[in-house]
Order: sequence, then structure tokens, then C-alpha cells
Amino acid sequence: MTQSLDVSNSAAAGRSRRPHLIYLAIGFPPAAKSCAYRMRETANQFRRLDWDVTVVTIPPASWERDSGLDYSLLEQVDPEIKVVELPLAREDLETDIRKFSEERALRPAKWLTNLRKREKRIFPEPVFGSWRGTLEQAVLDIHREHPADLLLASCTPYVNLAAAWKLWETHGVPYAVDYRDGWSIDVVNGGQAFTPDSEAGVWERQILDHCQSLWVVNDPIADHYRTRYPHVANRVHVVRNGYDKDSVPMVRPHTPDPEAGLTFGYLGTVNYTTHQLGVVLDAWREARKQEPLLRNARFEIRGHIGAGANREANGLTELIREAAADGVSFGGPVRKAEVGQTYGGWDALVLILIGGRYVTSGKVYEYMATGLPIVSVHEVDHDASRVLDGHPLWTGAFGLDELRLVDSFRAAARMVVEATDEQRAGVRRHADPFTRETLMRHAVEQLAAHALAAPRDLPVNGAVVHPSSEPSTMDEIERSAGVRA
Amino acid sequence: MSDVLLVAGVAPQPGILSTAVRRLRETGARVHLVGAVDPDELAEDLQLDGLCALPLNIAKDTPTRTAARQVPGERVWSRIRREPWAREQARTADVLVALDAHAIYTVWRFAQRNRTADARYGIQAAVQALTERKDRPAAGALQRLANGLPSSSGLKQSVNRLINAAPRAAVNAVTARPIMRSRAGTQLWLTAVKTPKVPDSLRTKVAQQAAKGMAWADRPDGEALILTATASKLRKPAARARMMGEAASRELKAGMPPRDLDSAVKALLDVADQRHRADQNGGAADLLNRAMTLAFDRVLHIDQLTSPLAEDPEGFVAPFRRSLAATTVATPRGRRQPAAPPPTDRPLRLLIATSANDNFLKLIRSYYDAHPQVEVRFVDLAANAALKSVTWAAKPMLEHRLSADSTPYGDKAEERLRPYLDWADTVFVDWCVAPAALFTLVDPGTTRVIVRLHSYETLSRWPYMVDFSRIDDLVFVADHIRDLATTLVPYLRGPDAPRLHVMDNAMDLRGFQIDKPAEARFQLGMVGISQVAKDPRWAVEVLRLLRERDDRYRMLLVGGDMNPNVSVASREYLEAFNRDVRELEASGAVRRLGPTDDVPKMLTDIGVIISSSVREGCHCGLMEGAASGAVPVVRDWPFFAGRPNSARTLYPEGWVIGSPQEAVELILRTTATDESWRAAGQEASAYALREWDWSVVRHDFDRLLLDDPRS
Repeated sequence: MTQSLDVSNSAAAGRSRRPHLIYLAIGFPPAAKSCAYRMRETANQFRRLDWDVTVVTIPPASWERDSGLDYSLLEQVDPEIKVVELPLAREDLETDIRKFSEERALRPAKWLTNLRKREKRIFPEPVFGSWRGTLEQAVLDIHREHPADLLLASCTPYVNLAAAWKLWETHGVPYAVDYRDGWSIDVVNGGQAFTPDSEAGVWERQILDHCQSLWVVNDPIADHYRTRYPHVANRVHVVRNGYDKDSVPMVRPHTPDPEAGLTFGYLGTVNYTTHQLGVVLDAWREARKQEPLLRNARFEIRGHIGAGANREANGLTELIREAAADGVSFGGPVRKAEVGQTYGGWDALVLILIGGRYVTSGKVYEYMATGLPIVSVHEVDHDASRVLDGHPLWTGAFGLDELRLVDSFRAAARMVVEATDEQRAGVRRHADPFTRETLMRHAVEQLAAHALAAPRDLPVNGAVVHPSSEPSTMDEIERSAGVRA
Repeated sequence: MSDVLLVAGVAPQPGILSTAVRRLRETGARVHLVGAVDPDELAEDLQLDGLCALPLNIAKDTPTRTAARQVPGERVWSRIRREPWAREQARTADVLVALDAHAIYTVWRFAQRNRTADARYGIQAAVQALTERKDRPAAGALQRLANGLPSSSGLKQSVNRLINAAPRAAVNAVTARPIMRSRAGTQLWLTAVKTPKVPDSLRTKVAQQAAKGMAWADRPDGEALILTATASKLRKPAARARMMGEAASRELKAGMPPRDLDSAVKALLDVADQRHRADQNGGAADLLNRAMTLAFDRVLHIDQLTSPLAEDPEGFVAPFRRSLAATTVATPRGRRQPAAPPPTDRPLRLLIATSANDNFLKLIRSYYDAHPQVEVRFVDLAANAALKSVTWAAKPMLEHRLSADSTPYGDKAEERLRPYLDWADTVFVDWCVAPAALFTLVDPGTTRVIVRLHSYETLSRWPYMVDFSRIDDLVFVADHIRDLATTLVPYLRGPDAPRLHVMDNAMDLRGFQIDKPAEARFQLGMVGISQVAKDPRWAVEVLRLLRERDDRYRMLLVGGDMNPNVSVASREYLEAFNRDVRELEASGAVRRLGPTDDVPKMLTDIGVIISSSVREGCHCGLMEGAASGAVPVVRDWPFFAGRPNSARTLYPEGWVIGSPQEAVELILRTTATDESWRAAGQEASAYALREWDWSVVRHDFDRLLLDDPRS
């Protein structure tokens, strides 16, 4: 099953004194996914602690049809990290019609429904369920070649959990889970995603019963898990996403010039609805009419739009194109290495996010660190609001209330010309505790220390677990920085 | 140079197409397009090397019976394969590209014949294929020849398709259009479906085939006949009830009142009751839902000039009052705690909720947004995916009520609503439809619940799914609507009923005061003609009679036409209306101005404002017209005429008339001279501003929302 698995070149192979982490990180660079940064930092931090790290992911060709690739992300991956690429790809994103059966070509929607059902029969996750067997075999093979001391599963996909469980069940290798957004919680719409007695519920319970540590990205999600599984409450840790220092311009490159036209920017995956984008663009148009400072303003949208057959060709691109006369443009994805430069060319930022109180997004930290004024387009009760609360160049969140968004654009324009260097520096200081490197270093140190301290002869089938009992890693940092979170 | 053939099953958005073609040409390819395309809509900068534009509906069009049975992808293929140009391009193309899901099958079929071509779905994939081709060595002549032949698997599939088509052909022959349209054919099938000693399953199958034949022959009445006849012979009550319901539903779909609606509703309710007694509440909810859907279909009540419910409210809802399942649903649950009085130490937290339609909320929202004693939050249940999915969920709602309020759906509704209820001191739900049912599905705690019922809700099923015992205040926009609602829902007349209020809609009428030119005196007008209930044909009749006496009179119609696709009944009404006004429009006596955002401007030229509706709540368009100084002429809305409250009690004496002839007399009298017309208009305007302007009405809202209801 794991033909591409080859550990012979591993620099770490055979060195038994160094602890070994198997890191299930589907989305690891060069995948142009937002989770790639977190995964890269996590793996690098384990390397910094002198662990051997084997990352398990899928090949670049599989990302080509998904969210795309950014090879510049590889530049900062520790060269000692071994990457195992499993021959897996999302069948539903296949775009080569020669590989379609006649039934799929004829009834694509029905085929997709049936695929989802088949996937769920293997593991209760409709998109990735069928990857279970390959993942399970892969971790067993890696462990056989190079015994692991810890497995860290980053989700999504949640089917990673099956592989973590397999290795624990058969070899007693302890595991931790980086849930990021959480499984049993519907982070976009709120509420639970499945009940405790559903198949997914039973899986989650089983996994959490025995995991060393559970990481999530914000407090509302952590609260959900602490409430739902009180017996693992002390193993739930908030590990915020943070931002990469090299992604933000260190000095302001130019003075705003309203005569030449201010530039507002959005950088991130364009994953919201056409309705949401439509409201933003309507508000933008109206703000340009009303606000003299915005008369010549431009609004640049950068990032990935759509996947599979719809990549960069859907209703969102059409909406953006129709708004060209209002100074709106789409410039495609930005390589990681060029992110800082891109922010450096903008005067203000537009933060468009889906979901509510359970969604933070990594982007908000990066936005905050640029020191630029921020226009928020998301629910009022959104975790990003909590992160931005107190930010002096933030216009506030008003959901999709168009009139208030018009005011927000206008207020941001005024902030652009009125903000002092001191204010901008203050904003950056506000963001200082949220560098990804700082956040992940604390989290990884705790997890690594605990994994090594735990007894190595854990019984098979997990009768004994020694979970981490340290307080949430972010709590102390946030308290010291005086940030509400 | 490579050749690319794009295939469109549905019309691509011009911008997307333009970008796609540009990106493909940037790789050096020639780009050709076949499929659903409107050449007039293509972007000006689009540079295609070849185009075969086919009708936009190729994925939907069913000109033949075979096409009717096909899935959209097959229809697109059937149409495109007939184009020699498309076949030639497909044979020689290097990359075949499906632009949408309906085009995939066509590309798949083309790719069976052109075996060297790449076949891709989506533009990014096509660009990638072109890039990869550049790195591949070209195929030799022999290989190209071999690749041009269809594959053996392709041939086998073609043969299989031919064989599988044979039984369909046989069925087609015995249900052909001429047979189904003839009396003898109908009789033959009626006899067939009633043949004795046939198992239910076979009888049902035969009936479905025959009904499909009737549908193909455009005979919805025949469909209903066949299904009703079959139902009478089915042994299982549930199957019988469902088929009777199916028969009625086919007639409603065709825009016709069903011939035996009452029996179908009763049969469905009987089985729903049985299921409920057996604690099979999923099934009971399904059957009850079907019964309600049929009984309250818009064809019966909304798209007609009369309604069986309005004619005999108590008789119409009697089967539901006798049904165990329906009465269980309607049983009041009550609230565990009384609503708390408005807070005195902080602003009132007011949650305003609706689902998509906030037409009558804007003024209320902006007023209370700026009100120091109120903190407003607004939730559009249709705009939030999590709430939308639990709002218009009639069947799960019914099942929840039937299952002693214990279902996963109820838990979900509770979970999603509770944060809103916890925050709010008062919830104001506009429209007594699904949102009201949802908000009363859960216990509101100490939050006060106010629901406003406008008008059409009384003709819907929602009042039977709302728990009025969890509503503290029920607001109506007029007395006659309150009367109808309390007749339909007896609980509203009982001792535990919510407080009932009649409050006018929030309208800013001051902006409508306009100086009218002298010519407006002969200009009749209507604002809003988009529903059958507005009955503009009645107003046209008034104009026709008027012009027989004085041809200076003309009419302006403000607002969009009714949507003919909503129901067959709407379409038929619109066609009749178009016939009525054809000549009048040609002579300039009637002008349709279409939808507008600037009603006050339109009213400038209207001297007489007409309400010709068969039913209304309060008719805002008429009130706005009156405020503008137009002379109001109101038909005594037939749904309510002769009852204790009606248009005659809502409006001042002298505005309401009973017939087109009376309308003519009123108009001639009030517009006899410029002075009399202006005097009547000013009087109407003064009345409207005095009674209905927001500056007056807002005090009622303040009292409702801010005063302690116990005091």
C-alpha cells in the first residue's frame, strides 16, 4: 500500500537515541493550504528539540488539483525532516475525464453522493474515509523501520485519527491530536457537528480517552471539548495559530497617497459565499462614492479561489471581474515568500471571514501584525473579534450590515491618513505575543517533554494513559500580553 | 499549435468564459466553443477561433419523450452530437474541456472517439493539460490513425444502450400521446388500473407508467383520474392515502384545484393519526405534512380570486381539528416561566427576527437602532445557514411536536436558538410563518415573544404549527385579519391567549406629500400588481367603464408583473390580464411602469389611487397613494366583505365601493373639477398622515415594546 514509502535516505534512520515523531500532516508544504504554516512550524520545533521527524502527507500532484502549491513554503522546512508522500488524492477533485466511469460522466452529482457514502462506510468522514487503510499501513511501516516515540495527528482529515489509533493499539505508541478547529463542533455554523452516540462520536470519544494532548486554536473550541469530555479537560490546550514574522513588512514602505489612490487588500483563501462577497463589494462601491479619500481607491484580492474544476472560475471570480470599474481586482495566489512584500504595498486590509465564535483563522494574527487598519467583514460574535478587540486601527465587526460596512471602509480610509507611526508600532506590539514561532515553541516543548517523560512501556490497547496536565499554553502568554482572548 | 474545444452544457458566465479563453490562448492554443451560449451575451473582448452556439436550455429541453427521460448530461450530448461542426472539432481537438457538470458526458463521449485528446473538467485543468502536452513528443501518423478509431469498450457500451432502450420503447408505444389524449385510451387505462386481484405493487407500477403517459400528453386531469382510480383499489390504507395525495398534488401542480381534495386530505390525516397512535411519528409527520401541503397550496388560496378557506374558515380547517395528529401538534405547551418585564436598569435588548422578508421592518429597525432605551440585534434566519436549515423544516417540526417534543431536530433547534433567546429581553418575529413556529418550538425562558401576523399567513398552514401559548403578544395589521386568525385558531379566543394588538404597518408617509400636476386628475394608478390577489383586471374594468363615459381617463401601473412561473394559475391570470390591456396599452391608456425604488415620484402623476385587491392586510400602496394626495378608491375586498371588519372598517367612509360601476361613479364625482379632486386628495392625505404615519404609529410600538405589559 505504501509504495512511495522509503526511509532508506533518512538521516535519522537507525539513530535510536534521538526521539522520533511521526507527524500526520496532510497539508504540509508545498501544499498552499493555510494549515501548512502551522504544520511547518510544528515540525521545525520538534527538530529544534533534536527529534527525528517523519512527516506523512500526500504528493504535490494531489495538491495541484486541490488548493494548489507554493514551493516557497519549503524554503524554511528543516532539511532534516523526512517527508513521506502517500499515493492518495481526493477522487472527487479529479479533473481528467478519461479517468471517469461512464456513470460518473453521466450523473456526476449522484456519483459524488455514492462516493461520500462509500467513504463513510470506511471511516465516518465523507471526503477522506477511504484513505484509512493506506494511512494505517503507512504508520505501521514507518514505525517498523524507525520506532516512533510519539505520533502527532493534525486534523483535517480526521481519518488521521484511525492511523493514530492503529499505531497505539498495535504498538502502544502514544499520540496527540492537533485538532485546530475541532471535529464534533460545527465551527462555521455553531453547535455540534455530530452526536456522542454517532459513529464519529464514538471514534472521537475513543481517541480523546487515550490521547496525550489535544490542541485547538481558540478558547470557544477548547470550552466545547472541556464541556463535552470533562474527563480530558486538562489535556485540552489552546494553541493559537499566530503569524510568521517574515510575512509582515517590518517597516512601512510608503506613505499613503489618497490622490494616487489608497489600496485596500485581502489576502487569503476566497472561501466565502457570493452573497458575502457581494455585500463587501456593494459596500465598497458605496464607500467610494461617499468618501473623498476613497475616490481613486483600489481593492486587491489575492489568494486561492475554488478547487478542482472550479478553480479560479466560479461566481466569486465573476463578481470580482464585474467590480473592475470600482477598482477591484483579483491577482491570484501569493507565494509565501512574497507575502510581506504584498502587505507592504497596501494601505489597509479587509478581513473577510466565514463562521462565528468558533472560528479564528490564522489570517487575523498576520493582519494585526502588519500594523495596517483593518476592516472586518464577519459575524460580530467571531473569535477574530476577540483577537482584534483593543486594536486601535480596527473598524469593528458588524456582520454583513452593508451600511455599517460602508462606514467601516470610510473609517479605515481616515485611519490610513491619520494614524501615527507610534500607533502603528503599538499595533505591532499588540501582535508580538502571537508570532507562530513563540506559540508553537511553547506547545511543542510541553508535548515533547511529556512524551519523553511518559513510561515507554505503555500497555497495548491503552489501559494506562499519562496525559499532560500543564495549563493551556496560551493562557500565560495572553495574560502577560494583556490581550483578551 | 494546440486546438481546444470547450463544451458548455449551461451558459457560462461571460466573465468566467472570457478569462478562461484568455488563459488558454496565452498558452498558444486555438480555442473553439460549442454548447449553450447566448452570442449576444458574450464579452466584447472574447477571442474565439470557432463558435457553435446552441440554445441555452439544451440541458433542460425535452422536445422528445426520450429527452424527457434523459439526465441533463445525456440531453446535452444528444443535442451537440447532431452538429457536424462540433463533431469535426471534437475529432481533431488536442484538449476537450467540459466547462460545467452537464458538459462532462459530452466530453467523455467525444474522448471515446478521439483517443489522443486530453479530456479535462475545468479551465485550470485544461491549462495544465496544454502545458503538459508541450513536454510530450507528438504521436506518429499510424498512432494518430489508431487513436482516431473508437475503442472496443465504446462500441460495446453503444450496443448495450441500444438493447436497454427496447423495453422503454414498448412502454412508449402503449402510452403514446394520441392514445392518452383520446377518451378510449383514458378508459382503457382506467380499466387496467382497476383490474381485480392485482397486487398493490404491480397496480402502483402500472398506474405510475400510465400517469407518466398522461403527463407526457399534457393531461394532468388524466393523471389525477388514473391515480385516484388506482388508489380506490389499493389495499393498504397508507398506500391509498399517498396515491390520493399524489393525484391531488398533480392537479395543483398544473394550477387546477383538485377534484377531490377533501378526500385526499382526510385519507392522509386518517393514516397520520393511525401512525401517531402507533408511535410511528416520523411517518405520521410525513403524512400530516402532505395533508397540510395540499390543503394550503397556494393554487387554492393565493393564486385565485377566491379561497375555500376564506369562504368557510371553520369548515375548511375542520378535518385538521378532528385529526389526532394535527391537534397534538397544535396542543399548547406553555412556557415554564412568565416573560420578564422590560429591564429598568439598562436598555431593552430587542431581537428582531425574520426570514428573508424584511420589507416592513426597515423603519422599525432604524428607529430602535437609534433609540437610547433599546439595543437591537437583527437576525435573518434565511441568511444564516445553521438557522435556515432548522427554520423551514416543516416535517421535522411536526415530528418533534408529535414525539412529545423530543427529537434530535428539536435539540438542534434549541441549541441554535438558545444563544439568541438568552441574549434578548424581547424577540419580535415578523411574519407568522416558519420563524414563528421555530421560536415557539423551544421554551423561551423569561424572554418575551412578540409575533406579527400580516395577512397571507392566515391562508397558510403555519398558524397550525405555531405554539401560541409561547407567544406573549400577537400583533395584527388590521382588525379583519385578527378576526380571521381567531376564527381559524380558537386558542386565540381563549383565556390563555396571547395579548392581541392591532397596529398599523410602519410607513414613512411624510415623504409622499407631493404637488400633483393638473393632468394627474385623470390618471388612475395602482401600486403593486405582482400577485393574483391584487386583481388588476378589476381595475382595468373600472378604467374601461370610465373611458366609455370620458376617454381622458388613463391608468398607470407601478410595480413588476406577476411571475408566470410561480404557478399555472398565476400564468393564466397574467395571460388574461395581458389580453385585457393589450388594446389599452396600444392606445396609451394603460402604461406599465415596472418596478421602481422611487414610488413617491411615480405617485406624482397619479390622481386616483385604486385598491382592487380581493384581499389585503392593510394595503400599504393604497395608503401611500392617499398620503400623496391621490383620491383613494378601494374595492370592498371580497375575502372580507360583509364581515364585521373589512376594508369598510379599515378605511374612512367614502373610500370603499362595492363594484366597478360604483367606482366609476365615485371617480367621476370626485374628479369632476380640479377643485373637487384636489380637495378630496388633500382630505385623504391629511387622514393618512394623521392615522398611519410612523410619527404616530411609533408610539404604539413604543408602548408595546417598552411599557411593562403587566401595568
